[in-house]
Amino acid sequence: MYTNSRTGWLLLSPTLLVLIIFGFLPFLYVLFVGFNEWNIFAAEEGLRFSGLDNYRRLVFDDDFTTSVQLTLKFATFAILSELVLGFILAQMLTRNFPGKSLFRIIHTFPLMVAPIAVGAIWRLLVIPGFGPAPFFLDRWFDLTYQIGSYPDQALWTSVIMDVWHWTPFVTLTMLAGLTAIPKEPVEQAKVDGANRFQVFWYVTLPFLRPVLLTTVFIRIMDAIRTVDEVWMLAGGGPGTRFTGIYIWRVVFPRTDYGYGSSISLITLYLTIVLCWLLFIAISGRRKGEVE
Amino acid sequence: MEEQKSENGKKEFDGFLPFYTNAFDRVFIAVVILIAVHLLWLRFMEPQTAAEIANRARPVELATLLSFLIGFFVVRYG
Repeated sequence: MYTNSRTGWLLLSPTLLVLIIFGFLPFLYVLFVGFNEWNIFAAEEGLRFSGLDNYRRLVFDDDFTTSVQLTLKFATFAILSELVLGFILAQMLTRNFPGKSLFRIIHTFPLMVAPIAVGAIWRLLVIPGFGPAPFFLDRWFDLTYQIGSYPDQALWTSVIMDVWHWTPFVTLTMLAGLTAIPKEPVEQAKVDGANRFQVFWYVTLPFLRPVLLTTVFIRIMDAIRTVDEVWMLAGGGPGTRFTGIYIWRVVFPRTDYGYGSSISLITLYLTIVLCWLLFIAISGRRKGEVE
Repeated sequence: MEEQKSENGKKEFDGFLPFYTNAFDRVFIAVVILIAVHLLWLRFMEPQTAAEIANRARPVELATLLSFLIGFFVVRYG
């Protein structure tokens, strides 16, 4: 253990420098741009200080509020499904069954695929007149499946695609958490007459809390900034106009950098607040709660 | 406000907030409130009609004042 704090700071300084240059300074720059009008196609070139005008515009922007609602809906359903499925699969992988190793390898494949490729694969699956999904849904259930025409179908397809892509990650983290749980408390609870649900609720879940918290944080941050795979799937059509896609539209085709920066900052704000509320709820720092 | 030591040895306070907080938590909550109050003020309180704008009714500086007051209260007693 280093008792000399100067040595500690010296060893930390390269990492801190990288973090400041690539993390903190860009953040300050976006913060600065957010208080300015900056559009390269505007009559006046360069940045023009506009105070809170971008934020004033943002709170009345229906497209932005709709994109936030859609993103939260997408994130909620995708993450909840991934947690439930991930936990079930992790429980399954703690037991022995024939073909377990092969299943574990195949099950981890989606994680290795780049998001843009995931979007492309799913696009090929669901494209009307070509993909197998619309064909079989129409033939077997007489269901018209066109993500370009029905916003709900596009949203749910995005959720299913995200679940397909990220459930293996949740499974792996849950598996790490489950295998780290000591056997004694579980056996003790069983001896005391606890049923399976009680063992899960009072023993397994509290031990899994740190893993659960980390997984949920990572998934929330990922889900809120989803752009590439959803863009490939639906091209930013109705039902999938998430915040990330809306920011892309404002910043790139419209080159409205000031407004885009303010939307990015508010999205970051929402992500931090959401994660912090979850941290308080899950971490057991509430009063009257027994650790 | 009661002071206690958390598991990792840091000082935590038992104020009016529904969980134990350290100094960073309370400053963080104050900043979150500052941003939320400003956004809500811009959406619901700022003058929209020409007459209100001319009279400088409910300017955003009031939101800043309000959020600083709330922030001070949270940092001191939270």
